[in-house]
Amino acid sequence: MSANLAISPKLSKEELDPDFTIRMIILGPKANVSENEIVSHMHLLDLPITVKWTCYGAMVSGKEEDVMVAINEVRKLDPYNIFTKSRGFPPGDPRRCRGHRYGPREGFHQMEAEYRILGDVGDALKNPKDVLIEKPKPVDVDELVEIVKESVENDDS
Amino acid sequence: MVKVAIYPPNSLVLGDLIERKGHTVLALQKAMSKKVRDPEIDSPPMNITEEDPLKGLKYAAIEVPSGVRGRMSVIGPLIDEAEAAIIVDDAPIGFGCIGCARTNELTMFCLRKKDIPKLELEYPTNRDETFDFVGKINKFLDTLDEEGGN
Repeated sequence: MSANLAISPKLSKEELDPDFTIRMIILGPKANVSENEIVSHMHLLDLPITVKWTCYGAMVSGKEEDVMVAINEVRKLDPYNIFTKSRGFPPGDPRRCRGHRYGPREGFHQMEAEYRILGDVGDALKNPKDVLIEKPKPVDVDELVEIVKESVENDDS
Repeated sequence: MVKVAIYPPNSLVLGDLIERKGHTVLALQKAMSKKVRDPEIDSPPMNITEEDPLKGLKYAAIEVPSGVRGRMSVIGPLIDEAEAAIIVDDAPIGFGCIGCARTNELTMFCLRKKDIPKLELEYPTNRDETFDFVGKINKFLDTLDEEGGN
């Protein structure tokens, strides 16, 4: 029997509130804080929010104003290496939680792809500088013809 | 504060940079959040209502695959709301809701034809390109402050 991957969620009254916000806090590869520190810091704020410790950082949910206060406070710990993103599904929602899906949710792959440049993004925010980027130009047609002729002559001889 | 549409519509880097400058990011996750937490919509997991195909038809004709129209019913209203846009070409991101190439083309087309301030960039592949990428986005967002989104 195949697994049920479309489980009906039992959302709480709070989660059904339109003002309910879910944010992910993602630590860049050069972050000077740990997941533990940011979670503890948010708990110490004593705000009516739910904080979940995750492998990429933390997930925080609650009323939008409280969540934004928590995010602004936690960002102060390492402003250039703490990134945030909103999330659609509430924490632990069986439609997305990997515990029920037998594998990571789709958003995790995206985060993994973008995580590769987060270190450089943090550096660029900390020390902005103008960079001259030279893009490789295509080979000139005449030059290509010359190269082909030369290689043909070399093969013949 | 300007409402900025982004492509890819669920980008972490773009969303974060825009919010750091105090603007509002029109992220796909916020639109999806309303849908998946709406008690009116029967789960599992994201059933559509009769209004959604109508919304999708505003952006794509009836002959267009239903997947494109369904996705545009969520992404389209975000484009309509946009006062500025940042488009990133060749982003190595195409998972979940944005894993449809035709929808992505239509999204970029709708953003490009809209008469709003736009910034079009290529996704960075090395350190120098990332510095350039972040610098250009920050400069663009600063100009929005001066122009007030017009």
